[in-house]
Amino acid sequence: MASVRELPVVPPPLPASWTTPESSGKSISPLVERRLLPAGTAYLAHVKRAVHKLTFDEHDKHAEEERKRLEAMNGGCVDAEDDLGVGDEPEDEELLSLDPKEWKKQDHYQVLGLSHLRYKATDDQIKIAHRKKVLKHHPDKKAGLAGDSNDDAFFKCIQKAFEVLTNPERRRQFDSVDPYYELLEADVPTEKQLKSARDPQKFFFHAFAPVFEREARFSRKQPVPMLGTYDNSKETVEAFYDFWYNFDSWRSFEYLDKEVNEGSDNRDDKRYTEKKNKSERARRKKEDTARLRSLVDLALAYDPRIKRIKEEEKAAREAKKKNKGGVQNGVSAKQNAEEEKKKAEEEAKRKEEEEKAARAEAKKAKAAAANAAKKARRAARAAEEGATAAQ
Amino acid sequence: MSTQPNGTADAPIEVSSAPTVVGINFGNSYASISVLTKEGSADCIANEDGERQIACAVAFLGEEMYIGNQAKPQLVKNSHNAILGFRNLLGKKFSELSFEKPTASAPVIQHPEQPDVPAYKVQVLQPAPSPIPTTASNTPAASKVATPRSEPTPAERVLSVSEVTSIFLRSLVQSAEDFLGKKVQGAVISVPTWFDDAQRAALTQAAEDAGIHVLQLLEDAGAAAVTTTTGLTPQELSADRTQLVVDLGASSLELSLLAIREGLAFSLATLSDPTVGGNAIDDKLIKFFAKEFTKKTKTPLTVAPATETQDKRAEAKLRLAVEHTKRTLSASPGAATCSVESLKDGLDFTGTITRLRFDMEVRSVYDKVYARVKELVEKAGLDLYDVDEIVYVGGSASLPGLDETFAQGFAETVVTPFTAGTVVGGGVGDPTTIISRGCALQARLVATLAEGTEEEREVKGAFASGSKWTQAKATSKTIGMLFPEENAEGPLGGQWIPTVLRDTVVPARRTSRFDVDLGEGEGEKKVGFEVWEVKEGIKVDKIKPPKFEDEEDAQADEDEEEEEEEIEVKEKTVEKESLLTALSFVVKEAKQVKGRWTTKVEVQSIIDDTGSLEITAWEVGPSGKGEKTVVVVSSA
Repeated sequence: MASVRELPVVPPPLPASWTTPESSGKSISPLVERRLLPAGTAYLAHVKRAVHKLTFDEHDKHAEEERKRLEAMNGGCVDAEDDLGVGDEPEDEELLSLDPKEWKKQDHYQVLGLSHLRYKATDDQIKIAHRKKVLKHHPDKKAGLAGDSNDDAFFKCIQKAFEVLTNPERRRQFDSVDPYYELLEADVPTEKQLKSARDPQKFFFHAFAPVFEREARFSRKQPVPMLGTYDNSKETVEAFYDFWYNFDSWRSFEYLDKEVNEGSDNRDDKRYTEKKNKSERARRKKEDTARLRSLVDLALAYDPRIKRIKEEEKAAREAKKKNKGGVQNGVSAKQNAEEEKKKAEEEAKRKEEEEKAARAEAKKAKAAAANAAKKARRAARAAEEGATAAQ
Repeated sequence: MSTQPNGTADAPIEVSSAPTVVGINFGNSYASISVLTKEGSADCIANEDGERQIACAVAFLGEEMYIGNQAKPQLVKNSHNAILGFRNLLGKKFSELSFEKPTASAPVIQHPEQPDVPAYKVQVLQPAPSPIPTTASNTPAASKVATPRSEPTPAERVLSVSEVTSIFLRSLVQSAEDFLGKKVQGAVISVPTWFDDAQRAALTQAAEDAGIHVLQLLEDAGAAAVTTTTGLTPQELSADRTQLVVDLGASSLELSLLAIREGLAFSLATLSDPTVGGNAIDDKLIKFFAKEFTKKTKTPLTVAPATETQDKRAEAKLRLAVEHTKRTLSASPGAATCSVESLKDGLDFTGTITRLRFDMEVRSVYDKVYARVKELVEKAGLDLYDVDEIVYVGGSASLPGLDETFAQGFAETVVTPFTAGTVVGGGVGDPTTIISRGCALQARLVATLAEGTEEEREVKGAFASGSKWTQAKATSKTIGMLFPEENAEGPLGGQWIPTVLRDTVVPARRTSRFDVDLGEGEGEKKVGFEVWEVKEGIKVDKIKPPKFEDEEDAQADEDEEEEEEEIEVKEKTVEKESLLTALSFVVKEAKQVKGRWTTKVEVQSIIDDTGSLEITAWEVGPSGKGEKTVVVVSSA
């Protein structure tokens, strides 16, 4: 135990007149006999030092080894269960004072301590996070504590959150309107920003990449092509816009439905609410599709790659034009090149065919060999049988 | 239907391969059990009755045997079959016992078979032998009605003290096993300091008879020290401190003054007084309530001691009831009630007592304890102001009034579980569980020791009672560093930093790290200090030398790690006695903060077992540890 004590004292500077005094030659006062209490780790350390005749430094090393041995003995089994890195998020006052009656408004991921994972959280992670939270907030744990021991509001919130997140359908509905992304959704680059950006190219990628990443989670088709970089080829960029214009979203808005007035047996009432909900859902969905489309429109309009590709094409066209009007040589060279290419292709085709034929032949030969072997075996067996019969 | 079984016979996954051990506090009146938690701390557990404080009692009623708190009510109607207070008789010969005190429990007799062995005689009902099973040969085809069981026969049973102890310990361990769901592989059992070898051997034997592997018999004070030194040291306390253990149990008072030096504890003095204890408090309380009963009902009731049979029974009832009253008083500041049905002549009694009234009633007991504490501290050649920490042990020590009585004599900085707020809610300072928790921690320590080599066996043997390794040498005077100061006030002439306190067991090593002020000027800077042995005393008059004032200011906002210093400021004095050596070295990595140069320095003092002192100092800069400067003071 090489414990170092931090002393809060600050000794003053040495006086100028002070010189190191000579050693007095005195030694410390005679030692007295004492009887130790054979208890505690310190006694064990003391005895070990005495028995093994260790100095303090040697003992430190020894103790370190011992500690490792004990650790190995407990074999990491203590925390054998992997918590998948969830359940350690801090809980603030606001979160703990949530009202379970308003469960529709709560952020289920935050309640379970999964706000860093959100829609990415796996079922196992949700399960573990829930277990951890329950262990911490179960009303039984609070019994006997000061204050209102009947306060199980947050526990109810936890249960509700778990209920929602473990049901795939309901989770999808909640993910569609996740309040965390709701805020971010408003945070898209505007036309003005794009126009006035100092470095438009950099700003475009910087601003749009996270937007598309966010939206990608709604796609039924996965993986989703991402924005990419400035150097992407024409095909990639076109595929990207093609995908996003035909975006197939699973996003739905059932979560925001108005509850049918409970206790009312009125069928008309119910139908009315249902009808309203349905139209509301459709409206929201339409709005969402429009939102995404305008987003893609905006991106397309300001995509520096499109500009680049257009310029490149223009350059190519001009080059072609130039070549046409220029030396004939160039054309013949081009023709030559084309011819050569054709020749090479033909060659390759022929080769392939030949190979195919060869393969087929080899196969045939193999089959024939097998047949022959079979025949030989049959003959041998017949001969053998004949021999035994003769005997 | 699924074919999946409900469970398996396999044991659940072993969390740890560490052995299952428990700690048992085995007092004369009450016992408690602690187990180790997953987190590595010890926790006192409750038995099946939900009791953490299990009465050391065994009672027989008819065919039944009651153990623990259930046996206590038997004292009222069936006292001659209830066995209490048997621990103190362990290992004693019958001829050694004194029968001055009248006991309310089963009579102690000479064992009829073994010579000179005390035993208890109890009346029990032996279950009658069951009727002979009917077979074809012995039954002449009689009625279909089963032969009625014959009545159990009354019998006398003689139990030696050791047998009673075995029965009781077995029930304790059984509770622990039920709690843990695993077999207990070993236990550390607490014993009082005054237990001699015969008594220890008898206790070990009794435990082994009960099927308990005894890892160690640990003295109560040792167990308390283990609990208080394990885990984090509270900020107000230094690792080197003087601890007073006040064990106020039901039947006696045990005091120990311990010197704790970085966890290594030894006893400076011990004292035990069997006349003070919870029972004395009970007596006062019973008298108080009896008087009130007489006042209310005009029925005469003389208790403690009672003479008439009726009064005796009333006393027993009251004794059971005040137990609850006492616990209520310790737990809450309000009034506590005491109610007994049919106390005497069929009259019920309900009385209340406030904490203030209670403290007044038992003032004499508190004062007696306080006087004993003073006696003990004087015996050790110390002053009450030398005590840095008070640890309370035992149910009666949970009474807040006791702590308040103590507060007058000790230094203001003394740490008690009440000032630290660790008494309530089973905190570390909970007096009723502190010993058993210490035992459990100790059990883990002993159980994890390896036994491979001769040396390792030797180490394990050091935990047996009377091991030679418990003999150790300790310093007799405090050694420290003195940093000379220009125009210093006071007799020391500089800043004093004690490093190795007196009563530190050798070999010892102390390392301290601190900043040193190097002044303002440029040029070569030096750190230097003298090493002195000092005489510490207590100045009784309260005139503070002005130098100490300054020191106090300088240290006012410290975390008071140097407990000794803090007290010294107020009452203690330090006198230079002999200069041992001096040391100085040149500082290389000083840094400038607000115009003043400072640097961090570490000083390590090692005293080996012959008494030679080695001081090593080095600078701790951003580039690691600097060059070491060593001086050695050889032993005489």
